[in-house]
Amino acid sequence: MGSSAGIVYLIFIGVPLVALLVSAVRQGDFLGSLSGDFALTALRLSVVTSAVSMVFVVLVGTPFAYLLARSRSTLLRVVDSLIELPIVLPPVVAGVAMLMAFGRQGVIGPALENAGIALPFTTAAVVFAQVFVAAPFYIRASRIGFQGVNTEYEDISQTLGVSPIRSFFRLTLPLAGPSILAGLGLAWARAFSEFGATMMFAGNLTGKTQTMPLAIMTAMEGSLGEALALSVLLLAGAVLVLVSLGMATRRRWTGHL
Amino acid sequence: MSRGWANYSVGDFTLEASWDIEPGQVTALFGQSGAGKSTTLRIIAGLVQPMAGYIEIGSRVVFDGNGGVFVPAHRRRTGYLTQQFHLFPHLRVGANIAYGLADGRSAAGQARVQLLLRTLQLEGLEDRYPWELSGGQQQRVALARAMAPAPAMLLLDEPFNSLDAELRRVLRSELRTMVVQSGIPTMLVTHDREEALAMADWVQVIDEGRVISEGEPLDVLGQPGRGRVARLVGVENQFDLVIESHNPKDGTMICMGEGIRLEVPLDQEGASPEFGTAPRVPIESDAARINGDSLRRVTVGIRASDIILSSRDLQGSSARNRLQGVVSGVEAHPPGYTVSLDCGRTLQCHITGAAMAEMSIKPGQELWAVFKASSCFLIQD
Repeated sequence: MGSSAGIVYLIFIGVPLVALLVSAVRQGDFLGSLSGDFALTALRLSVVTSAVSMVFVVLVGTPFAYLLARSRSTLLRVVDSLIELPIVLPPVVAGVAMLMAFGRQGVIGPALENAGIALPFTTAAVVFAQVFVAAPFYIRASRIGFQGVNTEYEDISQTLGVSPIRSFFRLTLPLAGPSILAGLGLAWARAFSEFGATMMFAGNLTGKTQTMPLAIMTAMEGSLGEALALSVLLLAGAVLVLVSLGMATRRRWTGHL
Repeated sequence: MSRGWANYSVGDFTLEASWDIEPGQVTALFGQSGAGKSTTLRIIAGLVQPMAGYIEIGSRVVFDGNGGVFVPAHRRRTGYLTQQFHLFPHLRVGANIAYGLADGRSAAGQARVQLLLRTLQLEGLEDRYPWELSGGQQQRVALARAMAPAPAMLLLDEPFNSLDAELRRVLRSELRTMVVQSGIPTMLVTHDREEALAMADWVQVIDEGRVISEGEPLDVLGQPGRGRVARLVGVENQFDLVIESHNPKDGTMICMGEGIRLEVPLDQEGASPEFGTAPRVPIESDAARINGDSLRRVTVGIRASDIILSSRDLQGSSARNRLQGVVSGVEAHPPGYTVSLDCGRTLQCHITGAAMAEMSIKPGQELWAVFKASSCFLIQD
């Protein structure tokens, strides 16, 4: 029963992916399609914006995740349960919400404009959209990782003469490392594949806001070959993330925490 | 030296602790879980801040509630050992030991690690990960790690609890030797009477956050004179008896009850040596003792290890109490056995494995229980 269900499921997932590969091969000139200006520009933009997004996510998300893991305050419990809202929220809604905040007719948009800052339809908006949808994946995984580190370890570290901040870097961070890396991998993948919120808030401007998913959408209307080549590239990237996650999150001491 | 006092409360629980430990001496906090023993250690370590108090570690003031002094945990120089060892799982044994050394990677640091590995018989294990060690080795590594930065005080929170009985005895004596040699004042939290007797120079019995008795280990844990202490320490034999007659000349009295008759020390002051520090239980005057009924009932305690079992009546011995009975049960009580002897009331007696084998004790067998009057003590509520 379970195995036949599994086979049905695997066929369901596998057929489209194989079809994608087969079509890409049939179209031919895979490398030619990828080395065109259109594809390269989108690829470069995706890599840069998602990397910048991850820097923000890690810098803000790590201390926040630690706070959530250690605090017992009721307020933070509530915050904790809301942190995953962007995961379940449709990305398009996130995009509309950001427009309503930072857009020209938005709540704080006009004030920003007066200060000479215009966010919508800029590369910065791409980063905003990615952080918005991807950060919860990182924060959730990091929080779980930090919770897995018994506070007794940190206590002992301090009695050994190591300050709380140094204890964090020498002990807590390495011990929570596998979870944090897993979260980072998921968040990065989510940021890279971001479409809806970016479309709404940043638009689809080549070289400025047209990331890979948006480029695929655009290519589908003109040259199927380019769309297929980009799709295969993203698929390969996803597989790479999955494999490296598996390797990066395995430690000799896994299971001995 | 290390001394201090601290008050702490959370919810309904109130803790009032005070201690004074000489260099190389071990003070044991004895009591049930939840009594406040571990919290006391955490207060001294600086991991919990008390509401009020004054704490000196190695003649340095680390907390003074009035003076606004609070030295954080990482500057208090305490060595803190826990029940689960808590070796850092991502570090090998050598790195675990070197963790608290400021110069762990330097030649001097490595020499210190090597010295500790030798002292604690851990040579050859420095490249192992913690989970590749036995429980005893893990605790030795934890001890080496705690000793590496030269702590001014050792805080041991039931450090042998997760080890088997035999290993406990070995590690206990090793640790005891190390404390004495290093001259580090040490506080040991335990609920194991044997452990407190083996390791401590001074014992505090803690109940619900308060010290209810303290003194030399044998005085406090051997013949605990107060009901609450007796219950915590676990006096194996406690009998409610009625005083039949006094023999002031011998300093004893005869107590009777349901099939047994015991000769026990007179119920005078000093029957319980720890009264000096615990709140005194009022003892009625002689007149009241003779006239009133209040003192005719007494609770008599006898430690299971103070009873001699004999296959025949030991006539002509100096022991004042000789009871005949039938063995009703035998139970393993490492390292020996507990024999239950039905003499009208059931007496619990501890014997060694060798004695067990020589006498080939079996249920149903008739034996004599022999013990001195001074092995009996009065327990007052």
